[in-house]
Amino acid sequence: MTVLVLTSDEDVTADLVVARLNDTGIPVVRLDPADLPGGITLSGEYAHGAFRGYLSAGDRVVSMAGLRSVWLRRPGVPGARAAVPSGWLTEEASQALYGMLRSTGARWMNHPDAAARARHKPWQLRLAQHSGLQVPATLITTFPHAARDFARRFPDLVVKPVSGAHPQEPPRVVPTSRVAPDVDFTAVALGPTLLQHRVDKRADIRLTAVGDRILAARKAVAPGAHPDDIDVRFAPSEEPWRPVDVPPLVAEAVHRYLREAELAYGAFDFAEDPDGAWWFLECNQSGQFGFVEMDTGQPIARAVADWLAGP
Amino acid sequence: MQLFVLNYARPAEQLEVSAPYSYDRALQLNVLPGGRIAAHDHAVMREFGSTTSTAGSKTHFDD
Repeated sequence: MTVLVLTSDEDVTADLVVARLNDTGIPVVRLDPADLPGGITLSGEYAHGAFRGYLSAGDRVVSMAGLRSVWLRRPGVPGARAAVPSGWLTEEASQALYGMLRSTGARWMNHPDAAARARHKPWQLRLAQHSGLQVPATLITTFPHAARDFARRFPDLVVKPVSGAHPQEPPRVVPTSRVAPDVDFTAVALGPTLLQHRVDKRADIRLTAVGDRILAARKAVAPGAHPDDIDVRFAPSEEPWRPVDVPPLVAEAVHRYLREAELAYGAFDFAEDPDGAWWFLECNQSGQFGFVEMDTGQPIARAVADWLAGP
Repeated sequence: MQLFVLNYARPAEQLEVSAPYSYDRALQLNVLPGGRIAAHDHAVMREFGSTTSTAGSKTHFDD
């Protein structure tokens, strides 16, 4: 039985898992849906009450019935590298590929439906609350007066994109940023804006959940760090990620979150406050983990490979 | 006037040199010129930020 990995060629984090699967003798087919049609071929027949199909990439062929699991890691857009790409072709290729894969009994990390839903930050915040995680006061609004009122009630705010996406053309990044107390909120009317009460954090926590297994790492805020350097992804810091135990109540809540979200994998971000409490920021359903594994030595890739290789 | 959150945007850093590894379709892995698996070379991974939380952010927003 084969593990199917859907991701881009340049995804070196996926390499950690593919290499591990290779070491354990589990067959792997890795492909990027962007190569359908072209580098990927597929065929599926629904006849006589049965479904039979196969996929091939290069010289590797796998039958749909022979799929053990599917890792939906960082796949390209189907049809994106076709000779004549189009929105219509993308929809056709996407429906054919994912429709057939949904027709199999393979386990998913993560199922496309669960993955699509889990990307919505407003939904994440509500699910985190329901699951028992502490969530900083948050407002998502297009009303400038609502933003002003929120800023009065929660005087120290950060702003971040609702989607987590970074704008292109030109390529830019939007770090989570501190909002000045006297800021003009008029531009909130131009698009949904996410404002959140700033956690006075002493550390960032990255908790990686793989099936029932959770591994957490902590990166202390460097002494003398500038208070406006909020976003750990962009803040200059020599502090390494170090393994940290997960408080039992947080662990229970994380498991609840994953069950409710129907996720087999999730990379949670928390901010640790001066009392040691962990505040939920987001859950990245396909979040990176290589940078944590390199610092901590935690066997995250092995955990992913073990899950994918499971029964 | 622009979207409120874009007041906090900054230009994305572009690496001036490309990563020293390439995808090997036969192995289904990225390899260095000597054939070593790139992901196992932590020095290269750190230098090029290949596994950081923002790697691939242009096309995927699950940091």
